[in-house]
Amino acid sequence: MSTRTTGKKKGISLSRKIEPYLYLAPFAIGVLVFTLYPIINVVLLSFKEGYNFITKDFTSWGFGNYLYVLKDSYFLQAYKNTFMYVFVVIPISTCLSVVIATLLNQKIKFSSLFQTAYFLPMVTSTIAIGFAWRFMFNYKSGVINYLLSFFGVEAINWLQVPQYNFPALCIYGIWAILPFTIILLLSGLQNIDPMYYTAAKVDGAGPIKSFFRITLPLLAPTIFLVLCVNTISTFKVYNELFPLFQGAGIANNMFTVVYYIYYQFRVKSPARYGYAAAAAVLLFITVFIFTMIQRWVEAKTKN
Amino acid sequence: MKITIDHLTKDFGSTIAVNDFSAVIESGELIALLGPSGCGKSTMLNMISGILPSSTGHIYFDEDDVTDVAPEKRGVGLVFQNYALYPHMTVLENIAFPLEIKKVKKAEREAKAIEMAKLVHVDMLLDRKPKQLSGGQQQRVAIARALIKNPRVLLLDEPLSNLDARLRIEMREEIRRIQQETQVTTIFVTHDQEEAMSISDHIVLMKDGFLQQVARPQELYDEPANCFVADFLGNPPINKTHGVIKGGKIVLDGGCEVELEAAKNLPEGKKVTLSMRAEAIVIDEELKNTEGTVVETYVMGKEVLAYVSLGDYKVRAYIPAEKNFGKGQKVTVGLKKRGVFVFDEETGARLA
Ligand SMILES: Nc1ncnc2c1ncn2[C@@H]1O[C@H](COP(=O)(O)OP(=O)(O)O)[C@@H](O)[C@H]1O
Ligand SMILES: [Mg+2]
Repeated sequence: MSTRTTGKKKGISLSRKIEPYLYLAPFAIGVLVFTLYPIINVVLLSFKEGYNFITKDFTSWGFGNYLYVLKDSYFLQAYKNTFMYVFVVIPISTCLSVVIATLLNQKIKFSSLFQTAYFLPMVTSTIAIGFAWRFMFNYKSGVINYLLSFFGVEAINWLQVPQYNFPALCIYGIWAILPFTIILLLSGLQNIDPMYYTAAKVDGAGPIKSFFRITLPLLAPTIFLVLCVNTISTFKVYNELFPLFQGAGIANNMFTVVYYIYYQFRVKSPARYGYAAAAAVLLFITVFIFTMIQRWVEAKTKN
Repeated sequence: MKITIDHLTKDFGSTIAVNDFSAVIESGELIALLGPSGCGKSTMLNMISGILPSSTGHIYFDEDDVTDVAPEKRGVGLVFQNYALYPHMTVLENIAFPLEIKKVKKAEREAKAIEMAKLVHVDMLLDRKPKQLSGGQQQRVAIARALIKNPRVLLLDEPLSNLDARLRIEMREEIRRIQQETQVTTIFVTHDQEEAMSISDHIVLMKDGFLQQVARPQELYDEPANCFVADFLGNPPINKTHGVIKGGKIVLDGGCEVELEAAKNLPEGKKVTLSMRAEAIVIDEELKNTEGTVVETYVMGKEVLAYVSLGDYKVRAYIPAEKNFGKGQKVTVGLKKRGVFVFDEETGARLA
């Protein structure tokens, strides 16, 4: 380009430079106001001791909120429940999804019907589906107990007996996460060139061998993506509690970390914003560490 | 191993990709399966490998009917156009994979894979992933992988078409060398006549699913069975003219009379195609079959490319550089025996 620039041209190029930022502005401002600012506020809030929401006064800066939360038996229970939930739901749902996606990816009859059936839950609200599951879990008339009766299992009071609450939550959680996971995995599978399977077939590889030696390694990047996204979302388990248990269960045994946050500023009176903020920061740190570990493992397996 | 293809047909609903195809491929030969794009070469190859079931007909490997035998039981090695190397495996693992499937012990299969890698000259790249290889190197690895099982037949589907021009020539010589060393019966699919001519023992030429001719490369060039074969081979393309037999001569469209020994026995009024290779035409020499007019000349160093009009047609001919013809000059045109063909205009069949 020529280095001679008239005043007019300069004006054009300046507005050209600004233009893209103008397009970005609405989104950027949204992120700043509704995401970044609240996050910073929460972090600050978690260090304010004796905070008063109305007057915005607080007594001192310090770790008081954290010390309280880390000793609170409800928080410890919530933390333990959340961890167990992640450790049950993630492996089971991922394995199931890989199997189902692989089957859906075959050229089977009615495959589009199956695909629709699997993806329907994605466009339905968690709460609505949760209520459907509440009926299915029903002690006397639920379809789950009915099905189990065929296997000689006695009716289980999933929702009213505390020891069965956690399994009920996990079953529902696994089911709810499948569609999204299957969609991602299916798109990953469809990116695998069919000629690899042809090549393996000519060399005598059966379906099992092809699956473990070709499908799985080539799907690994998608599996890691799914693991990462799902781990983050399952750590935030919360919505699912309401339709099933209207909260933390009849024995207050179903606390999760996000429910604990909600509990501290919504259920408890007066609301303890500092405790809620501290719990939120602890959850963030946990998820962050987990995501980092996953990325580290992913980088390791790549080589 | 000898391959016998017996009245083989493959139809995909409305399109018949391979049509009543019969041919015999002798043991230890390198065969080029040649034809224009879409003529059914891949379909043919996939039926030989067993990837595609045939509609009717039979395939024999030596005396065994393998028509309904599964691909993995046929003992074929397959090289794909884009190689199909597994991206997550190293070169060594890729080459060894067919033996891994056969549950050959790791040490044994790696030793064999290294031997194969040496054969195709990739033994210094064993730890690389396919992405870290050039096109030619990927091709070599794909061949090594196809050969490691000691296949009875090696099948290559347009193996060179993804390579640049220079590599193509290098790799086709390599394929020839590897084939000679291993003596494995090889079918090499290509749409490039020059590639087919330079590499193969026999060429199987097909068009629209039909077999046209099986012959040695030179024979295919010198004695084409029909008009299509004559058209398909040769560079520059053969000069093609149309005319009618009158009084033992061929009268081309536009009135040019061609005296041809071969035309004397053809029935009066028969519509024919007269095809002449450029190097079969001599101008202003003793040999004289007809007369024409020089239309254009291009000096090409050692010789001159001349366009000479014969009736309505312009034909290419080479003339020695020392002879100088001006545009519009009338000349005598001679046709050598070799490289001049008469075909039935309707059926394309060779008449002389
Ligand atoms: N799976 C298929 N379904 C329908 N038609 C096909 C299929 N495979 C190939 N064909 C048709 O068969 C003909 C031959 O194809 P192909 O064997 O791939 O040709 P080539 O390899 O010589 O280019 C083409 O007309 C092609 O459109
Ligand atoms: Mg093809």
